[in-house]
Amino acid sequence: MTDAVLTDHHHAAPAAPQGYRRLTAPGWLRVLWVTPLFFGLGLGLPVLLRWLAHWDPVWKGSVLVSVELVTTPLGFLVGLGGFDYWAHYASGRPTRPEDHSGHGARSWRDYFRVNTDHKVIGIQYVVTTIIFFCIGGLFAMLFRAELAQPGDQFFNPQTFNVLVSNHAALMIFLFIIPAFAGLGNYVIPLMLGAADMAFPRLNALSFWLLPIAGVMLLAGMAAPGGGPSAGWTCYAPLCSHQPLGQVFFNMGVQWAGASSIMTALNFLVTIITMRAPGMTFWRMPLLVWANFTTSLLVVIATPFIAGSQFFVMFDRVLHTNFFEHGGGGYVLGYQHIFWFYSHPAVYIMMLPGFGIISEVIAVMSRKPVFGYRLMALSLMAILVLGFSVWAHHMFVAGMAGWLRVPMMVTSMVIAVPTGIKIFSWLATMWEGRIHFTTPMLFALGFLSMFVIGGLSGIYLASVPIDIHASDTYFVVAHIHYVLFGGSVFTIFAGIYYWFPKMTGRMYDERLGKLHFWLTFAGFNLTFFPMHYIGLQGMPRRVADYASRFADINLFISIASFGLGASVLVFLYNMANSWAHGPAAEGNPWRALTLEWQVSSPPPVFNFDELPQVVGNPYEYGVPGARHAIFGAPHPEPVGAD
Amino acid sequence: MLAIGVAAAVVTTLVAVLIPWLPVSAGKESHRIHFVYWFTTAICIGVFSVVVAVLTYSVIHFRARPDDDSDGPPTHGHTTLEIVWTAIPAVLVTAISIVSAVVLAQNGHAGNDPLVVKVKAQQFAWAFTYPNGKSYGYLTLPEGRHVKLDITSQDVIHSFWVPELSQKQDAVPGQHNTIVVTPTRLGTYPVICTELCGLGHAVMRSHVEIVKAADFDAFLKSGGQQSGPAGLAVFQENGCGGCHTFKPAGATGKVGPDLDNLADAAQKANRGPEAQFVQESIVKPQAYIAPGFTDAMPHTFGSQIPPDKLKALVQYLVKGS
Repeated sequence: MTDAVLTDHHHAAPAAPQGYRRLTAPGWLRVLWVTPLFFGLGLGLPVLLRWLAHWDPVWKGSVLVSVELVTTPLGFLVGLGGFDYWAHYASGRPTRPEDHSGHGARSWRDYFRVNTDHKVIGIQYVVTTIIFFCIGGLFAMLFRAELAQPGDQFFNPQTFNVLVSNHAALMIFLFIIPAFAGLGNYVIPLMLGAADMAFPRLNALSFWLLPIAGVMLLAGMAAPGGGPSAGWTCYAPLCSHQPLGQVFFNMGVQWAGASSIMTALNFLVTIITMRAPGMTFWRMPLLVWANFTTSLLVVIATPFIAGSQFFVMFDRVLHTNFFEHGGGGYVLGYQHIFWFYSHPAVYIMMLPGFGIISEVIAVMSRKPVFGYRLMALSLMAILVLGFSVWAHHMFVAGMAGWLRVPMMVTSMVIAVPTGIKIFSWLATMWEGRIHFTTPMLFALGFLSMFVIGGLSGIYLASVPIDIHASDTYFVVAHIHYVLFGGSVFTIFAGIYYWFPKMTGRMYDERLGKLHFWLTFAGFNLTFFPMHYIGLQGMPRRVADYASRFADINLFISIASFGLGASVLVFLYNMANSWAHGPAAEGNPWRALTLEWQVSSPPPVFNFDELPQVVGNPYEYGVPGARHAIFGAPHPEPVGAD
Repeated sequence: MLAIGVAAAVVTTLVAVLIPWLPVSAGKESHRIHFVYWFTTAICIGVFSVVVAVLTYSVIHFRARPDDDSDGPPTHGHTTLEIVWTAIPAVLVTAISIVSAVVLAQNGHAGNDPLVVKVKAQQFAWAFTYPNGKSYGYLTLPEGRHVKLDITSQDVIHSFWVPELSQKQDAVPGQHNTIVVTPTRLGTYPVICTELCGLGHAVMRSHVEIVKAADFDAFLKSGGQQSGPAGLAVFQENGCGGCHTFKPAGATGKVGPDLDNLADAAQKANRGPEAQFVQESIVKPQAYIAPGFTDAMPHTFGSQIPPDKLKALVQYLVKGS
């Protein structure tokens, strides 16, 4: 970023607050006193009301916890300044729309405050999610240590269940979904030729909800009575009768979900309204298409998981009977609502990855994406079909029997648009000039692993096979081939691909390749044998198992430690290259999309000149083809499509 | 490329055939499920080999030399090809769907005169009740007869699975779900709970013994009396060993307190004589929680164990016989 822009009088930072004003100015000092204030409010109000109403007991853990998990984080956000602008506006005090003092990063401190720059937010997201990735991975290695031998080793069943539940919850809600949101945050406005997202303040707020959700899930582990231990699926009625930690899970998911919805709305409005002149929908890079469809999935589906978690919490705290059979509730209703979100969530965790892979494969093969329009349309097909398959998670649940065959057929049909994407990527590479950089290796690793995950998905879509394989390690293998071999590989591909753009430095290519090969080997050695033990009869989520699975579980545990160790190579490469890596050019990959046409890292407001989009984003090999030109005299209006 | 594809197909087929992926099949339904499995596997081997062949060939032949800055040919698409790779997978998944739907329908047929066994799941035990009203903590089934399992749960969701019979069904409180099994192979196989149901989920195990039809009739007539004290039968019926260690019963569960030293425990708890303490701990486990444990034991045993059986159980636990 250039200092010239920041010292411009419009963007000047106001003088640093002095004296007591440091306590009232947004920031961590204000957090220090506002958060306890809100904590006290959340404690005092229910106690006072219960005391006035003569309810016994006055101190009730589950009530206080559910109120506190709303008020305390709100206090934190108020302290940090997440609502300052809106509060000023709503109360009629003067606002300065042109004040960009909260925009951009001049020092590392700017990453620790409410920052409205989508590039800062993107990096905040990616770094935060990687931290939770490491914590979630650590949990996995802890319970793999327990599973190295049958019988009890290190943990009692309660702790084991907590580790398993939080491993999945952190990986899904605090790593994969927000990591894509982070990469999208950084790249989408740049790819569209926009100065920022449509709602920068909402964007800043949606990031800060994320650490709240993560800390809440982790804090639940220390709750009196024990942490959340009903699995990440949190099925009723088991989870309504779990120790208090479960409420932390119910509420943590709300905060992560709110963050996700806000970001998705922001993406949608940005993509619809902020495209550069000439950037029609059919000229958008596939990453933008992918995030467009994903955001539609998020805004439609996420309220359902919010509902499911509120309802189970109400069953516990307010003694409602949504899912309590004894009180007239419908037990399987939980699963219907939960999976109406959580199956589309699988695509929320996959479609942005498809977008990343389309970018990487086209650029690294030096060829246009094969069948660009069909690639975009197949995303839309997955979006629509994705809402009609949720009950394939319930083939053995005892739901209405007739639902099974239709849901099987729709689940099978999703293989068609997915197949189109796989074959189109292969055709994109065909006759290309393939450069085996680290992002390309991860893209190829994704392609091969996702095919295996997709095919095991066909087995599970078939009702009779699913009846055998449901709730076994076969499902654990499948989900990891899809979410690790699929999503995580694409996240790594994306991080390496945009690392030069985000940091202005090049990563170490040798370490990147080492990271890839260690991950690829460790991943397959860990998860492939799980297909076998699952089909043979080992159920998932068990701390103890039949002794005939002992050897193979020991093998899996050792391989999983290797997989965990491979992350150290990644972390070292990222940290070291960010600090000491050679400076990156604006366009090290010779890519055509807009984010590569500006400096690395880009200027604070992205484009010094407005880009004029004149062609498709992947015209590699077409002589003289341009995606955009800069400094065009008369910008055309944005296409109406 | 053809060679790579054939090699991939051969290797994958060997992996599929030489490794015994599936458990032995002990029922008609699992025969059919195994057939769907192999049908799907054949198709998947084909698809996987095509992808691997194209991928491997591309990686070898279209590798750019280090100093090669040129671009590939600007191919944007190929309509016929795109139609082909939309249509062929559509046909394949339709075929798998049809086979699956047919097998699903066949596996739901219980015939005219099925044996109906009621299956009741609770944390963390199974109870199987026969038409004559007798119930057991393990399952005995006759060879060659349709058996309809009527499955329900007392508390949270559990799931009934016998890997060798392939059929699986969740036990849901307030619902009676049924599955049909038709055993074809004598032997003893595990019954496994596959739905996370709490602390004792991993040890919520029982077994099914498949016997000849004549032996089964004898089993029903004899009432399936086990040798040993009456309390042992109650102990096993209610799955106490899932959570507790109790040497006389050979139980080694570690979720709840060890029952081998009840006299000491009663003294520490100081809640009356040992027998009274033991009875209270069964019917009202929340009244006193042993140090180091939580209120995890179901509160339902008081209402589900009849008084005579409760008496036998208490006596068995106190005296070990």
